[in-house]
Amino acid sequence: MKPKQFTQKLWLYALMIFITCLTVGPFLITLFIAMKSPTEGIYGAMLPENPTFENFVSAFDKANFSLYFLNTTIVTALAIPLNLLFCSLAAYPLARMNFKGRSVVLALIISTMMVPFQLYMAPLFQLSGELGLRNTHVGLIVMQVSTAFGIFLLRQAYLRVPKELEESAYLDGANKFKVWYLVALPLVKPTLVTLAIFTFMGTWGDYLWPLINSTDSSRYTLSIGLAQLSQNFDGSNLKLISAASILTTIPTLVIFIWLQRYFISGATDGAVKG
Amino acid sequence: MNREPIVMKNISVKSARRQRKWSGAFLTPWMFLLPSIVILGLFLGYPILEAFRWSFLDYKIIAGTGEFVGLANFQEIFADKYFWNALINTILFLVIVLPLNVFLPMILAALVNQKIRGVETFRILYYLPVITPMVVAALMWKMLYSQNGIIAEILLFLGIFDSPTNLLVQSSTALVAVSAITVWKGLGYYMIIYLAGLQSIPKDVYESAEIDGASVWQKFTKITVPMLTPSITLVSVMTIIAGMKVFEEIALTTGGGPAGATTTLVMYIYEKFNSLDVSIASAAGLVLLVLAIGASLLQMKLTSKREDDLRA
Repeated sequence: MKPKQFTQKLWLYALMIFITCLTVGPFLITLFIAMKSPTEGIYGAMLPENPTFENFVSAFDKANFSLYFLNTTIVTALAIPLNLLFCSLAAYPLARMNFKGRSVVLALIISTMMVPFQLYMAPLFQLSGELGLRNTHVGLIVMQVSTAFGIFLLRQAYLRVPKELEESAYLDGANKFKVWYLVALPLVKPTLVTLAIFTFMGTWGDYLWPLINSTDSSRYTLSIGLAQLSQNFDGSNLKLISAASILTTIPTLVIFIWLQRYFISGATDGAVKG
Repeated sequence: MNREPIVMKNISVKSARRQRKWSGAFLTPWMFLLPSIVILGLFLGYPILEAFRWSFLDYKIIAGTGEFVGLANFQEIFADKYFWNALINTILFLVIVLPLNVFLPMILAALVNQKIRGVETFRILYYLPVITPMVVAALMWKMLYSQNGIIAEILLFLGIFDSPTNLLVQSSTALVAVSAITVWKGLGYYMIIYLAGLQSIPKDVYESAEIDGASVWQKFTKITVPMLTPSITLVSVMTIIAGMKVFEEIALTTGGGPAGATTTLVMYIYEKFNSLDVSIASAAGLVLLVLAIGASLLQMKLTSKREDDLRA
């Protein structure tokens, strides 16, 4: 390697490591604060002198995060399969069947994507009260189990499935439902994984709707529990807030490490190909 | 059970076929659509229509009724200096975030597009903020910004401030400080969009530029940036649409303060909702919707132009 190339590479790595400090640094600082013992100062020395998991335990026990964790898990675990099912059902005729009203339905669904949530949150709040969905898991789940974005994403995926595969299934005597389930659905699996990830991220970290709809602390999700905990944002609470923040992030980290390549291709699926 | 259809078939093949067409071809697509239409209609369509209606009433959410007041709600918000403050803050926020969102992720993408060892790891590390729940990101940054936090220390060290300063509580810096959180969170996402664009640039363009003796900077400005125009358009429009809806990072760090310095349109709507002025909130929401539709139409126009360019 020529010396010029070598120094160029050195600079490149230095720059990339500097950027890493900017993107990962905040997590490390938060983790370090979360691991400081009660007697240690929050700021000052960055590394904890006597690293401890005490704050994580008190977040779970005293600050009720075990309950919030459970609530968030229930809502997310139910929202993902239901959203995949309903969106993949709805997207199929919009991509593959000719029927009256198809273009109207498609246009209506797509146009709702640009409506800001803040426009209709007040009527929605009233509706959830009338339907008895306030302070319920169902009230949080229903908002996630059929999304215009998901229908749009899956429709694009079905459009890429070769028609011949379905036609041969029809010749074998299968009905539309069977063709959807046995032929089309397995072929859009990567998009289903992408949508599962989007649903997970959207539901796990959702803030505004749970904030409005869950007034009773027994139905708080992690986001709301964390936001409530941070209302007292001072020295006495910062270690607990840090620990709770790390706890809230860990599941998304685990899923990210597990499904990395889908995350990366999903970003462009939603934007570039859409 | 098995025999009857055969008999029927013998009587009239035509009517049986028509019957099948009606029960099958007509109903089947709607059966697929049913769950989504019910849910979207009830929890999306109906509240949107209600918001339209409420914006022309003086709706009382507790009573559940309201009188028709025409355009009075719109007149009220257009006469409200806090509304204009919120609109200006929304525009300022976009003015800060847009150039940063367009250029920083582009540089990151160019870096992680190199064929060097360990580059995949850097991609993942740059993507981490994207997967962080926004509530967590907002609270982490609130800690970093605090008077004893690392950012105040760096600013003190650089001599920008004489005493430790929390950028979030100064009205001159609060909006910039909040924008930084938005930019930080989106870096990795937009980087991936640029990366996809970069990987579609043919390599021989660079090779011939190298033979002509082009420098790294020349290659970046003369080849990379022009070839990335479609991605730049996409990132810009996504930033504008997302930026108009910015909420969590503001609500959880400054709450719209100090003295309204970070109250954006969405924060304005949220405050009206909290004080139960739901008709005003609905009217302001409609204004936001009109702006969002404008941005989306811009997107469609630009992306269809992009497709024409690609076809040509």
